[in-house]
Amino acid sequence: MLPQITIDKEKCTTPFECKKCLQVCPQAVFAVGPTKVDRFKETDPRDYEVQAVFRDKCTVCMDCVKVCPNGAIRVKIGDS
Amino acid sequence: MCELCEQFGKDNRWYLNPDNYARPFYRKIEKDKQKEPMILDELRSPFNQIKPMIDVKDNPEAFEKAKEEFSKAWERSVGQVVSLEDAKKMAEIAQPIAKIDCLCRRSVRATLEDGEQRPRSCLATGVGMFRWEEWPERYKGGVEFISTAEAISHIQHWHKRGMVIALMAFGTPYIGGICLCDYPDCLAIRMRLDYGIKPILLKGHEVAKVNYDECIGCGTCVERCQFGAIKMEVTLKKTNIDMTRCFGCGVCANACPQNAISLIDREKLPGLREEW
Repeated sequence: MLPQITIDKEKCTTPFECKKCLQVCPQAVFAVGPTKVDRFKETDPRDYEVQAVFRDKCTVCMDCVKVCPNGAIRVKIGDS
Repeated sequence: MCELCEQFGKDNRWYLNPDNYARPFYRKIEKDKQKEPMILDELRSPFNQIKPMIDVKDNPEAFEKAKEEFSKAWERSVGQVVSLEDAKKMAEIAQPIAKIDCLCRRSVRATLEDGEQRPRSCLATGVGMFRWEEWPERYKGGVEFISTAEAISHIQHWHKRGMVIALMAFGTPYIGGICLCDYPDCLAIRMRLDYGIKPILLKGHEVAKVNYDECIGCGTCVERCQFGAIKMEVTLKKTNIDMTRCFGCGVCANACPQNAISLIDREKLPGLREEW
C-alpha cells in the first residue's frame, strides 16, 4: 500500500523559496516545478507547486511534516 | 549492436556523428498553431507522466502497461551514459556549448545553480541555445557560453568528483545536453534504476572490469558508483563490479589509485552486447 501524501496548496505558497521538505526528505520523494511557463518571462514564485511525485519511495518517517513551517503536508498509510 | 548507432551513426558511435548536433534552427509553425497562446507546461509535464505510473504501482499489470507507455514516449528523447573519453570527443563536435542550471536537481531539491552560490553542472549544446532568452524560466540562473577547452575541463572536473556523464537527446537523434548526473537528483538515472524505464537512460558503450591482480580492496570505487553495481568482497579484500548492472560511466576507474579498473567495449562481450 502506497503512502498518501497531500500538500495543501493554500498553505504552501512559495515552495521553491521555502524548499524545506524537498531538502529534508531522505528519499527525495518531492519535486517542485512551475505550473506554467511563459515565453520571455520568468514564472512568479507563487505559481510553483510541490508534489509528492515519488511517494512509492516514502518510508513515512514524517520529517517533511515536522519541517513544514505552514503545516501543509499530511502523510498517512492506506486509503482511508 | 547498438540500435541508435545503426540508425544514426556514421561508422562510429551515433553520438560522435556531427549530423546529430545539427538540429534545424528554425521550424515552420502552422498558421493556426501560431494563434494559440505560447504557454509551455514542460517542467510539470514529466511529473504528470510519472505520477499516474506510480499511482498504479500496487497493480503489477497496470504498472507494467504504464511503464511501457512511459518508455515508448521517451524514445523520442533518449539519454545515454558516455565515458569521459567519448564526452571529450563530443565537446569537440558540439557547438555552441553553454553551462546551465541542472533542471532535474532544481526540481528534486529546489536548488538553483546560478554560478554564484552554486557552480553550474549541466552543459547544453546545439544552435537552439542561441534562443535561450526566449525561455528564461527554463534557463533560470542564466547561461554561460564556453569554449571547447572549457567544456572539456568542466566535464573532467565533475567526472573526477564522481558525476556520471550522460547525453540527452531532445528529439532523437539531436543531442541537446551533456549532463553531469548523480542519484537521486538526476531524474533519468532515477527513472531507469527505480522504475526500469530504459530509453530515458541507456547504458554506455563500455563496461567496467576489475583487474584482481591490481585491486587492493581500498573501497574507493564502491562509494562512487551511482548505479549500485559495486560491492566489496570483504574477506577477499577485492572489489566486485557486477558488469550486468554497470552503466560504463567510468567514475570508478577515474578514482582507482591502482588503476585496477578498465573500461572495455560492451559490444565485444557476447553476454552484454544486447544489454543497453
